[in-house]
Amino acid sequence: MQRPVQLFVTCLGEQFYPNVLQQMVAILERLGFTVEFPAAQTCCGQPLYNGGFQDQARGVARGFLHAFGEGDTPIVSPSGSCVDMVRHHFLELFPPGSAEHELARGMAGRTFEFSEYLVRKLGITDVGARFPHQVAYHASCHHLRGLGLATEAKQLLAAVKDIELVPLPEEETCCGFGGVFSVVYPEVSRAMMQAKVRNIIGTGAAAVVACDAGCLMNIAGGLRQAGSQVRAMHLIEVLASQGSAR
Amino acid sequence: MSAKGGAVIDSVRRALRREAGAPVPARPEILPARAAAEAEAEVEVDLLLKEVTALAGVAQRVSQAEVGASLRRLVEQEDVRRATCWNTPRLRALDIEGQLRACGVEMVPPRADKHALAQCDLGVTEADFALPETGTLGLLSSPEKPRGVSLLPRVHLALVSRSALRADLHQVFTEAKAHPYLILISGPSRTSDIELTVTLGVHGPRALHLWVLDDRR
Amino acid sequence: MSGEAPKYIEFGAYSRHVPPTIPVAVQQATGRFLGTRAARVAEMENWEALRQAASDLRLHTLAHLDVYLERLEQQVTAAGGRVYWARDAAEARAHVLGIARGCGARTVVKVKSMATEEIGLNHAFEQAGIQPFETDLGEYIIQLAGTGPSHIIVPAVHLKKEEIAALFREKLGVDAPADPVALTAIARAALRERFLAAKMGVSGANFLVAETGTLVVVTNEGNGRMCTTVPEVHVAVVGIDKVVPDWESLTVLLKLLARSATGQKLSTYTSFITGPRRSDGEGGPKELHLVLLDNGRSRILADEVARETLKCIRCGCCLNVCPVYKNVGGFAYGWFISGPIGAIFTPQMLGTRAGRELPYASTLCGACVDVCPVKIPITKILLHLRRRIAQGDRVAPPSAPLATRVAARLARWSLATGWLYRLGARVTPILEAPLARDGWIRWLPAPLNRWTQVRPMPAFRGGFRAWWAAHTKGRSTP
Repeated sequence: MQRPVQLFVTCLGEQFYPNVLQQMVAILERLGFTVEFPAAQTCCGQPLYNGGFQDQARGVARGFLHAFGEGDTPIVSPSGSCVDMVRHHFLELFPPGSAEHELARGMAGRTFEFSEYLVRKLGITDVGARFPHQVAYHASCHHLRGLGLATEAKQLLAAVKDIELVPLPEEETCCGFGGVFSVVYPEVSRAMMQAKVRNIIGTGAAAVVACDAGCLMNIAGGLRQAGSQVRAMHLIEVLASQGSAR
Repeated sequence: MSAKGGAVIDSVRRALRREAGAPVPARPEILPARAAAEAEAEVEVDLLLKEVTALAGVAQRVSQAEVGASLRRLVEQEDVRRATCWNTPRLRALDIEGQLRACGVEMVPPRADKHALAQCDLGVTEADFALPETGTLGLLSSPEKPRGVSLLPRVHLALVSRSALRADLHQVFTEAKAHPYLILISGPSRTSDIELTVTLGVHGPRALHLWVLDDRR
Repeated sequence: MSGEAPKYIEFGAYSRHVPPTIPVAVQQATGRFLGTRAARVAEMENWEALRQAASDLRLHTLAHLDVYLERLEQQVTAAGGRVYWARDAAEARAHVLGIARGCGARTVVKVKSMATEEIGLNHAFEQAGIQPFETDLGEYIIQLAGTGPSHIIVPAVHLKKEEIAALFREKLGVDAPADPVALTAIARAALRERFLAAKMGVSGANFLVAETGTLVVVTNEGNGRMCTTVPEVHVAVVGIDKVVPDWESLTVLLKLLARSATGQKLSTYTSFITGPRRSDGEGGPKELHLVLLDNGRSRILADEVARETLKCIRCGCCLNVCPVYKNVGGFAYGWFISGPIGAIFTPQMLGTRAGRELPYASTLCGACVDVCPVKIPITKILLHLRRRIAQGDRVAPPSAPLATRVAARLARWSLATGWLYRLGARVTPILEAPLARDGWIRWLPAPLNRWTQVRPMPAFRGGFRAWWAAHTKGRSTP
């Protein structure tokens, strides 16, 4: 009998990276899971929460709670920052003792970022991928510091056949996305993004890998702006790969 | 307490929702000093010399017999014309003043005014404490041990006895807290304010000499 | 710089036009300090335990600050010092000026003290016909230049030696070569005169020890010692948050402070001053005056989440790791305190109306949280302050612009309403199609152009739900 897992696709994931979501489904099914997609889901409310609009964020988070409901089926997401929101901030939004608070507590315990789920929960680092290229890894801030995931993505990358992981200088330095920050202070965001892009191009890698759609949008746009051929890829795209970079 | 003081304290109490006279629990435990293995005194002296040297101080062992010659060398190296010295039993016993005078150095009393002390090239003190781990000297003050002697001249010479060695700040503080003044000195005066270039001798002494008195030789 | 606190912090306007020399200079300093800090941290097997101990200690002290302040006053007075209380900057200035007039000071020598900058003391002195001299080399340089600090620890790091030489030539009338050693010697000589002439020395304090009424003053240059030893009168202006219970507490804090700031094991000079001198001839001031400054700190104390802001020991490490700070420098934060700590301290001291741009000057990356020696939860406090700005809380009404608040309601509506969200997802790619080329959008109308003016945006793709429907066709579970 197959184990169930619920997909939390994230608003950015759904709008900009549907291929990543499809590949995530493929990997999970190959590992023997029955993937469920609660269709009522929209967004976890993080942009509003980070903007300080907690009352508005609560409304969005409430929708999330009801979309995923009760139970203990693991919820898996391709975005570290969204999981950080559900795990660490949902509980702040609902008064202790309320039904929603209990629902949020349950959700906090069963929501996982994809690499976290594979490595920490399933003990899997090799998903049978092949990606014969030099790759640099950018450690997204919420993934790294919010969820404490310092090695999982790299472990998964290291097991990919024929891959060469090259060190990225200032790997743990923020890329300048920061959600609302990128549109509130675009000049500072630009400076940070350009520093990240310079570091990436300087490694000579064919691709930079990250686990957060926001970072990827920012970095991909920056690489394109710089006229670079380096691809910004989600970890899942590499893990779903069977040989070519394109 | 003054009215304004009362007002500030009241503000603080209101903010903390505390009543006047409410008890204070003991403060959290401080990490005890790492149980330093009973370090052998000479190992500690070696460490002290190494750390002070790393801070651009000049540090060495000097035996009692060598004090005179060492002073003469220091006077030449640092071009000392005028000096001042703490008036402590140890320094009197070593006759620092006499030996400096013998080198042609004019001696200024340690209790002289700030202008006179500022004219001195060299100030000689003992160290009440020495912390090898960080290359730090601790000096108290008293009428015999004026504060300006280690501060105003451009060269500071500190004579350290083994009895001054302490394992850590905990030990120093336990003793020093009963005194009205303590200065911890870790190397000569320094800054990196101009283009991050380290320069010595900004306001405090430009040179720190440390002699660990070796009573055995 | 005027004496009054700024009315509004224009982080945005400043950050739009950062002179390129600033990030370059700032990053040299921060890189250096982080490198040496890393070596120190690697040597200490109990670094994390020390941080936790320091955090617990600071929280305990703040939670019982009333008692520790009473004890401090008692002890300072018993040691022969005089204690003054200042509810705000004006009262603090009045106390200090009163003491200065009392001793007939025409000139004053000052150790770098953020509390004195907070209250605008230099301006007040000048208005009163008293000339203050900053003696910390970096502070002296920016005082001559008439600018603010670009970094807490090395305030003049943005200036090249050639600029400093020109400044000395102009303001001091001396022949000044563009060489750090020579420039330092010039400053030493010039300030020596000031130290010896001044009737009054003004300092802050890094810590105030309640147990014995002891002021702890830390410097590398020795100006801390000069200002607190040479003049006959010593005045210290210190925030009430600087109190520690006892000397033992200092063992933890001193182990963290210099290592976190510059990567030194200990700063060159740490003075422990308990009362004025006990006898003539010993050296040290005849009078010791301690001005304790509230100026909004008790208000911050009342907020249990934001209270942790006051744990700060002013090491500057959060600045050194902050990618935002490193790209704008200290001026952008509009007051004497910058970087992540500035982004949480200033809006609380000046109010969120004046400081509303600062809590958003962060990507919430959390690098500061990792390094803060007293474990201030800076990102948590930033979010707490953003909530105050966006929707208001018990402390203040919202100060975000109306347009933003309306936009947030619209965003909530479209994200929380399933059919609207899905409709938007279907419609947006169609609306965008004319703007998209090769899967990228290079131009969007304002305010969305804030993204595209920096880098292109990927075109909306969507389609996952349709794919999923096809993928699960025939399956019993959705």
